[in-house]
Amino acid sequence: MKVRLLTGLLSLLMPALVLAGEYNLTVDRVEIDTGDFVKEGIGYNGKSPGPVLRFKEGEDVRINVTNNLDEATSIHWHGLILPFEQDGVPGISFPGIQPGETFTYEFPITQAGTYWFHSHSGFQEPDGAFGAIVIEPEGREPFRYDREYVIQLTDKHPHSGDRIMRNLKMMPDYYNRQQQTVGEFFSDASSNGLMDTIKDRMAWGDMRMMKADVEDVQGFTGMINGKGPAQNWTGLFEPGERVRLRFINSSAMTYFDVRIPGLDMTVIQADGNNVQPVNVDEFRIGVAETYDVIVHPRDEQAYTIFAESMGRSGFARATLAPEEGMEAPIPPMRDPARLTMADMAGMPGMDHGDMDHGDMAASEDMDHSSMENMDDSKMKDMDHGSMDGMDHSKMGGDDGQPSDPFYAKGSGIMPVAANDGKFLSYADLKAQKPLYEEREPTREIELRLTGNMERYTWSINGVKYEDADPIRLQYGERVRFKFVNETMMTHPMHLHGMWSILDVGAGKWNPIKHTVSVQPGTTVYMETEVDAPGQWAFHCHLSYHAAAGMFRKVIVEGGPDSTQAKTDVAIEEGGDA
Amino acid sequence: MSRIRSLITVSLLGSMVFPTAVAAQEMIADTTSRKQALTSWGVQFEELEYRYSDDDEELGVWSADFFYGTDDLKVRWLTKGEYAIEEQAYEGLENQLVAQVPISDFFDAKAGVRFDTPEGPDRTYAVLGITGLAPQWFEIDANLYVNEEGDTSAGLDAEYELLLTNYWILSAAVDATVAFSEDREIGVGKGLVSTETGLRLSYDLVDRAFSPYIGVVHERKYGDTADIAEAESGSTEDWFAVIGARIAF
Amino acid sequence: MNASKFLVIAAVMSMPAATFAAGADGHGHGMASGEPGKASQASRTINVEMYDNYYEPEMIDVEPGETVRFVVENKGNLVHEFNIGTPGMHDAHQKEMKMMVEHGVIQGGQIHHDMMDMDMGNGHSMKHDDPNSVLLEPGESQEVVWTFSDKGNVEFACNVPGHYQAGMYGEINFK
Repeated sequence: MKVRLLTGLLSLLMPALVLAGEYNLTVDRVEIDTGDFVKEGIGYNGKSPGPVLRFKEGEDVRINVTNNLDEATSIHWHGLILPFEQDGVPGISFPGIQPGETFTYEFPITQAGTYWFHSHSGFQEPDGAFGAIVIEPEGREPFRYDREYVIQLTDKHPHSGDRIMRNLKMMPDYYNRQQQTVGEFFSDASSNGLMDTIKDRMAWGDMRMMKADVEDVQGFTGMINGKGPAQNWTGLFEPGERVRLRFINSSAMTYFDVRIPGLDMTVIQADGNNVQPVNVDEFRIGVAETYDVIVHPRDEQAYTIFAESMGRSGFARATLAPEEGMEAPIPPMRDPARLTMADMAGMPGMDHGDMDHGDMAASEDMDHSSMENMDDSKMKDMDHGSMDGMDHSKMGGDDGQPSDPFYAKGSGIMPVAANDGKFLSYADLKAQKPLYEEREPTREIELRLTGNMERYTWSINGVKYEDADPIRLQYGERVRFKFVNETMMTHPMHLHGMWSILDVGAGKWNPIKHTVSVQPGTTVYMETEVDAPGQWAFHCHLSYHAAAGMFRKVIVEGGPDSTQAKTDVAIEEGGDA
Repeated sequence: MSRIRSLITVSLLGSMVFPTAVAAQEMIADTTSRKQALTSWGVQFEELEYRYSDDDEELGVWSADFFYGTDDLKVRWLTKGEYAIEEQAYEGLENQLVAQVPISDFFDAKAGVRFDTPEGPDRTYAVLGITGLAPQWFEIDANLYVNEEGDTSAGLDAEYELLLTNYWILSAAVDATVAFSEDREIGVGKGLVSTETGLRLSYDLVDRAFSPYIGVVHERKYGDTADIAEAESGSTEDWFAVIGARIAF
Repeated sequence: MNASKFLVIAAVMSMPAATFAAGADGHGHGMASGEPGKASQASRTINVEMYDNYYEPEMIDVEPGETVRFVVENKGNLVHEFNIGTPGMHDAHQKEMKMMVEHGVIQGGQIHHDMMDMDMGNGHSMKHDDPNSVLLEPGESQEVVWTFSDKGNVEFACNVPGHYQAGMYGEINFK
């Protein structure tokens, strides 16, 4: 890294100087201090999170990874488009990196933006093995900003990944401290009536599902760039400057709702791909997603970057300030989220007898193909006379409630901005520059996201990875994936090696992502141009869901001949990690 | 011809002997632990307590289970004991070793053996049971026992946890035993044998790993079993104050 | 409606919308940044190219009181605006542009001119007809002739929602 630092400095001084980058990473046992607890973990170059790797689009990189652990390791370059042997998934791309071994990754950088890297072995990633990647584009950035910071979020837990998995298997609610209590029963009874509250509890009890099942793993300390809330990571700015914040959610399990009280945020990039700028007050960042925002702090004051977990069981906090040591108030966390029957609507074979069908109508409406012309059709039906001063961010709900087509209608986990302003929706994401020609998909593959919370089993189409055949795609086709979430949890689905073109109903402007969150009770479509031969991982990025079986191998058959030769070599090596 | 035939034979053999040959198109076969069934283990002491009865009897009691296995097959060792402190004798000592497989979303079937080795005569039973979560959050464990003499009995345990807060938990448990034939030697009469009802208030002190509790337990014998107990001048009904801890690791 | 016709309307329609678009700094259009100029008075022509989402050039030097003819070309894939004003004026104009986007008048790379005439109540419409600005679809090119006032905090900016914040603005430096 010293070499890299030097070249980094040089390239700052002489922007024209571009070197084929050589980078060195060591995988080490490290100590992680969250401010709440100190825990042994895994990091890179002696630290967790590891360094920010700064690449330049068009360069060829060589990354030497030395494994100083006593177990095998690997590094996956999350979101990077590269030859599959370089993708870093043991058993799928390569055999893994054995203790004491140095493995050299070599691949061309063909993209720009904010990405990250992490171990794909065991629970090393939740244990701290991750870092950030920032790729400078070949041309100019199509934005203006005066400085930039990586804001890498994580949910550091006092327990090791292995222990968490085991505890979840033993008691699925082991970490859930937001369950409904007697007190909540009485407060619900006084606001909703006793009979309705009893009926409600009976309906959920009948399903043996918990309304409070929003976050499987609570008890973490939210961290930003390796600092807990009390340690307060601080990024400096001069009043009047525009600051680009590169948010990366490296959490094992936690979605964060991010806001900076006092500052508007303009989202300019999602998952490394530029989007048409959207001004928002708050956004939800799924596990493994990235969002880049530009903020424009004009005043000589500190601002709190506040990231509450989706289930409100914890938060991360950092500060933007003109001077080190300045602080802004930390807002209180909002009430814990509660699932509703609408979130359960995707479950098959449910006894719908006791349910409020009014709540549930949404699931049938969730077909996004009907969104295609949403904007137009809405327009024509509107009473334009009454529009003056209407708050359009809240348009769409029948009952004047805010709505987001990517959540079940009536969902209990649909986010609302703390200041009642604009909360980013997937529907707001439009590609700045479409990467692919729009064309009809060659076929559709349905992937039902399935699981059983009480057994803590997670699967796709009811089959765990251990029992599953690979998904076979043909090189050159464009596949439409249909995700049907039949569970009560949100799943961030991550396809390696190829882009996920999320269908937000914007046609050729559909955004290009690497991780697509599928909310409970919803169906989400994405399309993939199958342009990368080899074999790839495709999984839920919640660490313990992936480990429990919500995981697939994808094989891309055909493609350029040269790749076939390479893969034959790979067979010889086999896999072991 | 023969060359072709032997080639076919070899490839057939190959695909049988080395399943990886089929997966050759997979380029690298995933042999990592991710591709294997996830094995897990756990230890839970549902009860580990000191009991003090209304007629000054003191008991040390535990009820624990250890499991190891996958989603599809677990081995479970269940152990229960009641140690009379003054007499320095086991009033009850029961160990079960069962295999457990899922049979529905919320229930597993169990089969195995149970060894009872308290003070007095020992018994060995074959066990067949189900365990799981019933609607409205009742944890159910129902078992059928047959001993070497052919005596049959059944046990039903049900437990419900009421969350006063997310850390203060009031749990109610009822265990009932029914015998379909008499086993006088161990004091069991035909019909409803006994019930044990407990109410425990616990506090999760360290995660869910260590949760101290206090509570009351009521034990009662019924029908023929009660008559046998009375004949031996034993008690048919006891109230206990209990103090203990739930442990999980 | 083709581009040239739009330009004519933009040139002819002058002040009615000015109060609606008045900046937060309380000045009308003509005050803080300058006023519409005549092409014949222009001392020079500056070509401004609009990309997704930035201008080239991003900084323009002018003399106080100078009249400049801007030839603005949209070379991007999205609709962009070239608007001369103070930050406060841009801020106010962004609220109007937000409404235009929310009502589908601007969608990605398209302007639905027919929808601009929609009556928004209170006599407002969503016409984009200020002389200090042009709103262009990809590939379109138009002129703005502007006489700058004396020194002031003036920027040219694209007020399509998010574009200004993302950095689609340029500084006017008074010599």
